[in-house]
Amino acid sequence: MVINGVEIDDTFAEAFNMRGTRILITAQNLRWAYNAANAMTGFATSVIGCGVEAGIERELSEDETPDGRPGLSVLMFAMGSKVLMQQLETRMGQCILTCPTAAAFAGIESEDIISLGKNLRFFGDGYQVSKQIPDANGKLKRYWRIPVMDGEFLTEETTGMVRAIGGGNFLVLGASQAQVLTACEAAIDAMRKLPNVIMPFPGGVVRSGSKVGSKYPKMFASTNDAFCPTLKGVVKSELDSRVESVMEIVVNGLTFEDIAVSMKAGIEAACGLGKDNGILRISAGNYGGKLGQHHFKLRPILSGEVSA
Amino acid sequence: MSQITLTAKAVARSVDCRALLPEALQGKTVAEIASIKLAANLSVADVFEVSVDTASEAAVTFKNTTSAHQYIGFGMTTGQISVTGDAGDFLGAQLQNGVLICTGNAGARAGDRMRRGMLLIEGNAGDYCGSDMMAGTLGVLGTTGAYLGYGMKRGTLLLAHTPAAQATWIDCGSHKLPFLNILYKSFKRLDSRFAQISSQRVQRWMGDMGGLGKAEILVIQP
Repeated sequence: MVINGVEIDDTFAEAFNMRGTRILITAQNLRWAYNAANAMTGFATSVIGCGVEAGIERELSEDETPDGRPGLSVLMFAMGSKVLMQQLETRMGQCILTCPTAAAFAGIESEDIISLGKNLRFFGDGYQVSKQIPDANGKLKRYWRIPVMDGEFLTEETTGMVRAIGGGNFLVLGASQAQVLTACEAAIDAMRKLPNVIMPFPGGVVRSGSKVGSKYPKMFASTNDAFCPTLKGVVKSELDSRVESVMEIVVNGLTFEDIAVSMKAGIEAACGLGKDNGILRISAGNYGGKLGQHHFKLRPILSGEVSA
Repeated sequence: MSQITLTAKAVARSVDCRALLPEALQGKTVAEIASIKLAANLSVADVFEVSVDTASEAAVTFKNTTSAHQYIGFGMTTGQISVTGDAGDFLGAQLQNGVLICTGNAGARAGDRMRRGMLLIEGNAGDYCGSDMMAGTLGVLGTTGAYLGYGMKRGTLLLAHTPAAQATWIDCGSHKLPFLNILYKSFKRLDSRFAQISSQRVQRWMGDMGGLGKAEILVIQP
């Protein structure tokens, strides 16, 4: 398969079951909503070292937020519910509670309920106030008002937790680092327009893809040498002589379809630059298909087949 | 679910309405409601015209009521009561949940020992409004009487007019509170003058310091 001169490998991305949640963050204006959301989703690139993978899903207008202020929706993913709850609570306390004018609300409905501001309320030292207010559907929701130095910190008590998928990915292989980065930027711009997905790495792009295992016994993962351009000829390389740089885009989403649709949009945008701009191949990262529960096959996805 | 309308007949005595809650009247026919005893020698048919319509939500509407109609919404746990007219003493007393709207004036002890839910009085409230209230939201667009929030533990009194100063209520200053936007949004669903409130700036008082002191009076500022 070839798109705009770019070869699409007959391979698949291997992804995993995760637990996910969505939080709506509002503030006096978007600048402060971003300050809160950037802090909350900071150091959340990979579950390996950060506990969770998180990112900003999209901007929200005043009409879309519970308190009528501008805001952002944030998606957060973890390998298990316990870690997700723990990380959400910590990040709420250190990143949202602390940020001037910021407030946090549930962004997803589910039978599984996890605490958002439930335990944070004790920061109010007895002066916290609970308010139960019906939403647009008449369903009662509990909010906590916690006195803080800038006024009152407002947070909903709980949010929903859903089953989600993490680790959808594709690799962009090109003739130079600059060209691959430009293609990845185009891919990320296209993917950020889509709902229910986030790309957790810096700017959405990761350069240090890994393989399982290492020559060092204590390391359980190490550099993906088969895709390292400077090791061509030394290792069993996946790269031909033309490839000088490889970058990966990892995508987490609420459903298989969400991830498949965003991968398609991203790959098409990257291929838009074409062979003439140094984009040579699109591949994907997997572990032989034995570890992950979900396989995103590149060619069927690009042909419009999005179901699992 | 049904929408039950109780139109008051002229009465020369007080009427205890505590039996007329949405949860108690749901599914009942006009005849069944009309036969409910309000006192030993008084049934609903003696003091109300009853009509029943099917509706999406459990609701009771009182029409033409006066200060003689006491204990409306007493201990209500769900649904909505609308009072188009005045209400007597103990309006929404011991309210457990749901919404109670009164378009006229309320008597004494409105919201007494209320625990949850919303009691919205568009007219004036009598003495001891919100007395011993444990939680919930009580709004008054008119004036309030003496001993406002007497013994009130938690909860919010949302007022359009500044009440008389009281020794056991502390002025915490003027503030813009973000949660009011969410509260006002919930008012927008109601057929009530409360739906028109928009100012997030309020004067906040905390009390009743004679007791727990975790309750608040919020006076809406222009």
